[in-house]
Amino acid sequence: MKQNKSLHRPSPGYLVFRTFNALFMVTLTLVIMIPILKIVIDSFDEKASETVFRIIPETFTLDAYKLIISRPAMFRPLMISFITTVSGTLVAMTVTSLYAYGLAQKNLPGRKFLLGIALVTMVFRAGMIPLFLVVRNLGLMNSLLAVILVHAMDAYYLLLLKNFFEGIPVSIFDAAEIDGCTPMQTFIRVVLPLSKPGLAAIGLFYTVFYWNQFFDYILYIQTKPHLHNFQVFLRSLVIETDTQGFEGFSFATQSLKNAAITVSIIPVLILYPFVQGYFVKGINLGAVKG
Amino acid sequence: MQRKAAMARSGSLNPDKYRLWNRVYKYRMFYLLMLPGFVYLVLFRYLPMLGLRYAFFDYDLRGVGDFIGFEHFKDAFTSEGFIRAFRNTLILSSANIVIQMTLTITISLLLNELKNQVFKKFVQTVVYLPHFLSWVVVGALFTLILSRQGGLVNMFLESTGQELKYFLGDVKLWRGTYLFILSWREVGWGTVIFLASLSGIDPQLYEAALMDGANRWKQMIHITIPHLVPVIVIVLIMNLAKIFNLFESVFVLYNPLVYKVSDVIQTYVYRSGIAEFRFGYATAVGLFRSVIAFVLVMTANRAAKLIRGESVL
Repeated sequence: MKQNKSLHRPSPGYLVFRTFNALFMVTLTLVIMIPILKIVIDSFDEKASETVFRIIPETFTLDAYKLIISRPAMFRPLMISFITTVSGTLVAMTVTSLYAYGLAQKNLPGRKFLLGIALVTMVFRAGMIPLFLVVRNLGLMNSLLAVILVHAMDAYYLLLLKNFFEGIPVSIFDAAEIDGCTPMQTFIRVVLPLSKPGLAAIGLFYTVFYWNQFFDYILYIQTKPHLHNFQVFLRSLVIETDTQGFEGFSFATQSLKNAAITVSIIPVLILYPFVQGYFVKGINLGAVKG
Repeated sequence: MQRKAAMARSGSLNPDKYRLWNRVYKYRMFYLLMLPGFVYLVLFRYLPMLGLRYAFFDYDLRGVGDFIGFEHFKDAFTSEGFIRAFRNTLILSSANIVIQMTLTITISLLLNELKNQVFKKFVQTVVYLPHFLSWVVVGALFTLILSRQGGLVNMFLESTGQELKYFLGDVKLWRGTYLFILSWREVGWGTVIFLASLSGIDPQLYEAALMDGANRWKQMIHITIPHLVPVIVIVLIMNLAKIFNLFESVFVLYNPLVYKVSDVIQTYVYRSGIAEFRFGYATAVGLFRSVIAFVLVMTANRAAKLIRGESVL
């Protein structure tokens, strides 16, 4: 027992290490948080430009946010973001989960082929220009349908959902069939309720994806800038104004820029705790191969 | 089984065929439900592959012209813009892999040593966050933080009496700034896979080592690191496979002042194809990129298979 005790007593070197480690972690979190906090906090502070950094705004104000809501040039992109995020997520969830539901049927003729054509897209894509030309030839240019539809099914999320559905005991499917459920009824009444965690995880990922989407708007919506979402607006407002001398937003003050960034961070912050709960699980799910 | 195979070979009165049609009929509703996904794959994933043929055609604003074989590829390989983009892609990607792998592994090991679980959870929550912010948000954040008009960093430089720096507009500073921002967003997220692997190490190994008189350092060298090596190799291989994927991060952070050091293949494809309407040429460059990326992914998958006896894909 005596010997055991001495083994567990931390050596001085180890204490030094632990102190250093804790300090390192504090520095790391500061490096990550300071850029975000600086912008978010300054967006509420009327006198932000007078100080380098403060945790609590000196003169609290919501002026910049009021401006965003009152100006159509800023409010419209925000609404476009909300609309495409909600409808995009719904479309993508429907398309992906139905396809995954079919793939989860072990005896489905052609199952391997239908799975294969989805998996191939994980390793080989034609690339930006051929896809752009297809979207153009389909007459989807300058339409929000383009930005929603080109990402309606992600092969990786498809795999995760398929694995999730395959985890449902076959006997439950059999029982539903005996009770006279059509495949669609089984899907809605049995599969969906039993797969809530998986669906919620994929739904959250799609939501964050559609909210963060920006390049597709630049690519597919060229002559109708009023259909651009908030991310594209933010890029013009902050980045292009700074580095490319873009002068479309002469009213852009520092606090407006801070507020615009904060507005596009907030939805992610709200969803983040839920997303975080799922992604480690998601990675584990991905490790289970289909 | 043998009988079935024999009957299939003979071709006459093939019961399998009837059974197949019965099964297809039985599953007809499922095909209907899968139709949207199937149509999606055909329209947005396979139809574009047919469009790859434009890499061998004269195709610009005037429409599709003559078949010109490998002319576009020859043009690309002799064009300064392409060579510059190719070189920048390799430089930025490899520097990024070295920096990110080193930081990710170090931070994972240090996080693993934290005994206070609440503190550990807190640090994890903070460092994963940037990964979920869009590249536009990250780009905008750092544009403001690094701005010469009241940006945090330049205000600090000013207060210490140094010259103001134009981090994102100076060819000497751009790459370093870019690599820092890339790491800022991705390093924390990268620790997820290593932490998962670290938590899978049998604690009995550490107890046994402790009994044998191994200190923390020796435990790390002889237990933790060897356990991590296969994961490190796989992550490294997967990163190598993604070398040519750099795009959005560059797109939001570069500008004409620094094209020389920042233009990568994907941004080059975008500019020549979409801004200059050289559809044929841009398709050719994109095809070149896709083929290299595909070969890299397949090679990486083969290598990972050899290492852990199971493919990553």
